[in-house]
Amino acid sequence: MRWLARQLSLTVLLLLGACADPPLYQAQSYVFGTLVDISIYGAPEAQARAAADAVLKDFQTLHQRLHAWQPDSELSQLNRALARGETAPVAADLADMLNDASQLSARAGGLFNPAIGGLIRQWGFQRDEYTPVDIDPVRVEALVAAAPRMSDLHIESGSIRSDNPAVQLDLGGYAKGLALDRALRQLRQAGIQHALVNIGGNVIALGQHGERPWNVGIQHPRQPGAMATVALQDGWAIGTSGDYQRYFELDGQRYCHLIDPRSGYPAQHTQAVTVLIPPGPQAGTLSDVASKPIFIAAQQQRAQVAQAMQVQHVLVVDEHGQRFLSRAMADRLNWLDKHAKTQLLF
Amino acid sequence: MRAALSAARAHPFPRLLAGDWLTLLASLLLVVLLFQALWQSQGASKLRIRQGDTVYATLSLDQKRTLHLHGPQGETEIVIDHGRVRFLRAPCNSQYCVHQGWLTRAGQVAICLPNQISLELLGKRKSYDSLNY
Amino acid sequence: MQIQTTPQDHHIARLAALAIGLHMVEAILPSPIPGVKPGIANIVTLFVLYRFDLTTAAWVSLLRVFAASLLLGQFLTPTFMLSLSGALTSLLMLVLASRLPRRWFGPVSLSVLAAFAHIAGQLLVVRLWLIPHVGVAYLVPVFATAALIFGLVNGLVVARLLASHDAAPRS
Repeated sequence: MRWLARQLSLTVLLLLGACADPPLYQAQSYVFGTLVDISIYGAPEAQARAAADAVLKDFQTLHQRLHAWQPDSELSQLNRALARGETAPVAADLADMLNDASQLSARAGGLFNPAIGGLIRQWGFQRDEYTPVDIDPVRVEALVAAAPRMSDLHIESGSIRSDNPAVQLDLGGYAKGLALDRALRQLRQAGIQHALVNIGGNVIALGQHGERPWNVGIQHPRQPGAMATVALQDGWAIGTSGDYQRYFELDGQRYCHLIDPRSGYPAQHTQAVTVLIPPGPQAGTLSDVASKPIFIAAQQQRAQVAQAMQVQHVLVVDEHGQRFLSRAMADRLNWLDKHAKTQLLF
Repeated sequence: MRAALSAARAHPFPRLLAGDWLTLLASLLLVVLLFQALWQSQGASKLRIRQGDTVYATLSLDQKRTLHLHGPQGETEIVIDHGRVRFLRAPCNSQYCVHQGWLTRAGQVAICLPNQISLELLGKRKSYDSLNY
Repeated sequence: MQIQTTPQDHHIARLAALAIGLHMVEAILPSPIPGVKPGIANIVTLFVLYRFDLTTAAWVSLLRVFAASLLLGQFLTPTFMLSLSGALTSLLMLVLASRLPRRWFGPVSLSVLAAFAHIAGQLLVVRLWLIPHVGVAYLVPVFATAALIFGLVNGLVVARLLASHDAAPRS
């Protein structure tokens, strides 16, 4: 009479259910030092594969050109020239990126600053692996005092120079977002109508998943799995800056990769900031960039910074795990934890 | 006993005492809470392991098994244990993937970036298409 | 050798026999949801607890588990382990619950509490030994619902039996 045990296991299996594969093409790769995931819905597999491969190839090229710590990358060569105070030639598209990044940096009041590559290197985040570094307060202070800013750059007719030799470009908070915008354009050109592109957690949606919009989970900063989901409509992008993906711990303190350009130290008063960006030619870029200054800003300044970045949808998880969100974001989020307590940010 | 049974037919429905109502109410509350707590999240039945840009394997979660995968950094050890999975050992310095602990629900993901290995739990109904992190 | 027996011993023996009978009927009848059973034999346990005492109820309950499983050829099988674990945890619960003031808590309370303890004990054995799978958690609410319903019904039956038994002459 082992039937009881057998029946019980059968019930378990029935309840858990088997899964059916959706008509979805999925490609994954490791680019930008992170996981890239492209889902294409409703296209013949050959077409989907070709489109995804082309996008991944573009990502790879962009990654190699903008790599901040491979000595032979275009950006590294530029950085060396800037450090020597030289005028260097710059490709037209890279010049556009740098101009764009300068504007965004100004909008963020300098809290988004791609010129602080020196600081990022000092903290050990210009490496493939993050291990605790010896904190050198004197060196950090010197790097802050040198005040590298994007406005120090002068870009004219194919050449670039800097007033400040301390400017070291690191497009780590920009390139992935830009890549999302490029991917969206490329996929549209390839005749793809429905796709979801995820670069290291920054996601942009094209069309929808069958009858329903694409659904994206927002990672809980301290637990495995999502804390909320959001329907990502056609053209919308979502980006999160968190202290849980790139960080090291030293003497019980967490040092994340988001460095406050004013102090030269990693911001420690935030666990995560998520922004939702409406459709536009720069939705992806903004989803990557906009969360960073909000992450670094003091709690009282966050609303102001978000408005300066023209971001309506914001979710902030502070150092204590308390959740603050904008009214617009509250309307869009679907909390998985029904007892979640939230406070209004603006 | 037979006498008791026959006599029972003649008797009215037994009355419940105040404590009985209290017990029933508390029990009902317990049942509701159990449903809420245990039926809210979708259980996962399958595990997808990706290595680099290819799917290494899609496996049933309903087993006890230890896997050894070789990535760019060395050997990663993954344990499947009857409905849950985790990274047990990884060659990377950060050990984020190992610290993630057990994954149990559909849609949960653990990634070891340095060694380019990812775990994803699949269920009947995934609550989201992709994860923003 | 002759053992002296009292009419009370005979009465208890008859009740134990009834419990074994009910247990076996339930074991043979198919259940719409696998593993979910009304546990009507527990009516006898509770009846004995009220008419005699806790020790006697424990004897009747354990005697039923062992005798029925021997008769059904299930001794030491998973089914037997489930019966035994359920019986032990529900008896443990009855030890605690029988201290509740009788003025406020009747047989329905004891029956419901014992039913919950019963499934708790069984699910523990299932999770630890029979099906070591986290998915067992999904069964808990189903079994808890069954415990509430059957605990209530069995408790009402006991209450009614006790009421009529008080009215009828003792057999």
